[in-house]
Amino acid sequence: MPEHWFWFLLTLACVLWYSTITVYVAVRGVSDIAGMLKRLSSNGEESND
Amino acid sequence: MSHFTLIDGGIVGVYIIATMIAGIAVRRYVVKVDHFLLAGREMNLYLGIASLAATEFGIVTCMYTAQSGFKNGFAGATPGILAFFAMFMVGYTGFCVKPLRDAGVMTIPELFQLRYGSRIRWLAGVVIVLGGLLNMGVFLRTGGDFLVAVCGFDLKYLEITMTALLLCVGIYTVLGGMLSVLVTDFLQFIVMSAGLLAMTILILVNVGWDKMATVVEAKYGAGGFNPFVHPEMGWEYVVANGLLSVAMVLTWQTTIQRLLAAKDTRTGRQVYTRTSFFFLCRWLIPVIWGVAALAILTPEEVGDNTLLAMPKMLGQIAPVGLMGILVAAMLAADMSTDSSYMLTWSSVIYNDILAPFHKGKWSEKSGLLISRSIVAMIGVFLLFYGLWYPLKGNLWDYLTVTGNIYLSSMSVLLVACCYWKRANSWGAAGAIICGATIPVAFLVMEQLPATQHFARDIVGPHFSNIATYIIAATAMVVGSLLKPQTASA
Repeated sequence: MPEHWFWFLLTLACVLWYSTITVYVAVRGVSDIAGMLKRLSSNGEESND
Repeated sequence: MSHFTLIDGGIVGVYIIATMIAGIAVRRYVVKVDHFLLAGREMNLYLGIASLAATEFGIVTCMYTAQSGFKNGFAGATPGILAFFAMFMVGYTGFCVKPLRDAGVMTIPELFQLRYGSRIRWLAGVVIVLGGLLNMGVFLRTGGDFLVAVCGFDLKYLEITMTALLLCVGIYTVLGGMLSVLVTDFLQFIVMSAGLLAMTILILVNVGWDKMATVVEAKYGAGGFNPFVHPEMGWEYVVANGLLSVAMVLTWQTTIQRLLAAKDTRTGRQVYTRTSFFFLCRWLIPVIWGVAALAILTPEEVGDNTLLAMPKMLGQIAPVGLMGILVAAMLAADMSTDSSYMLTWSSVIYNDILAPFHKGKWSEKSGLLISRSIVAMIGVFLLFYGLWYPLKGNLWDYLTVTGNIYLSSMSVLLVACCYWKRANSWGAAGAIICGATIPVAFLVMEQLPATQHFARDIVGPHFSNIATYIIAATAMVVGSLLKPQTASA
């Protein structure tokens, strides 16, 4: 039944994509947070000046 | 009997302490209202993906999607496919989201002021907050129900657990605003994803795909795989959810908040396209859990409330350790959703509903104090509304109807604002009034015994939702054409 295969392959794609994006975001997100806080603190210092 | 051991408690404890430390630590970076509400528009791509995914997946999401899988089979994940396409196409083409982000506004109603005037901005703010708070009102109770069912806790701990959870979220959201939300969202995305993936793999290995497909075939036939031939779904379900998906991607304020907090328009659109597939995952993974519950629970074990079938199933199959990871994951999902939603509705209240009072002239210090107070008040509202509102019917139907109080009219207003030069305040007012009236009338009729049968069985939520969009769009066109062109907006 093609519908069985459709949902099976979609589930497989979800698990694989979700695993990949989680690892990728975990690695790249740390530098995003560091960059955001750095820019905010430098903006804060500028406005204080 | 509790399935929750000391080891599980330790895992959850470590997660909560780490979240609170991270959330409170960034409060010192908040010196302006713009920092509090939009993180100074410094959000980059991967943080945006984590935040959007964590925000739009709460325990309530897991519950209604799993209920959909339990009651409809794999076809119950259809809204996820529609949401994926809607989000990808909007991000890829920049439809509405590009002019919205380019405008540099803080909220959607602020954009409306440019074309429709300040009264429509205020009215749009009221409708957005009304729909958003009603929608969010059931989150806490549903989260508590999940934890009680999955851990086997005594029901008497439900209220105290919900209150403690909300207090934790409230503390870091009030102190750090969007900055705390983004940082905790990042942590919560990782914890949530680890739990969701581990549990899904456990289910696929232990229950098995063949058993799940066989039980769906036996219970629902072809309709369990194809929404168009499902007796309770059909084309109206697909159309209603398609409209809802597009409207949600364009105007659901918690989603839009990520676009507006992004460092530029390109980053905001990339957050949309790269998170789009998650919107399929957030439906399909819990639907698999719901189907697994259908496969392994007896009707006696399920009882009357199908909403609790999935957590009961998890309580049976999750081993020690994984139970702790699962509960931490679901707490992460819920806390990230609650914090983002509290902040989002408070931003609309501050920026749009209170706009006639502050007129942009309040000091940063006053603005921060008011914004923080609004977040705290929303938390108190949530606690009381979540405790007394009696949910009737399907959870997903309740969420779509309350969401449509503003999704229908706001999406019509946004599209017209961006792409129809003739759109004006008459059309906008007509769309808002019509768009809000139909869902509210449906909700009231569903609660009254005299009209319950008519609302639920004759009209049904799908036709009610489709009608809302059509009538809101018609009101926009007719109202705009009726207004003399010489008059100002």
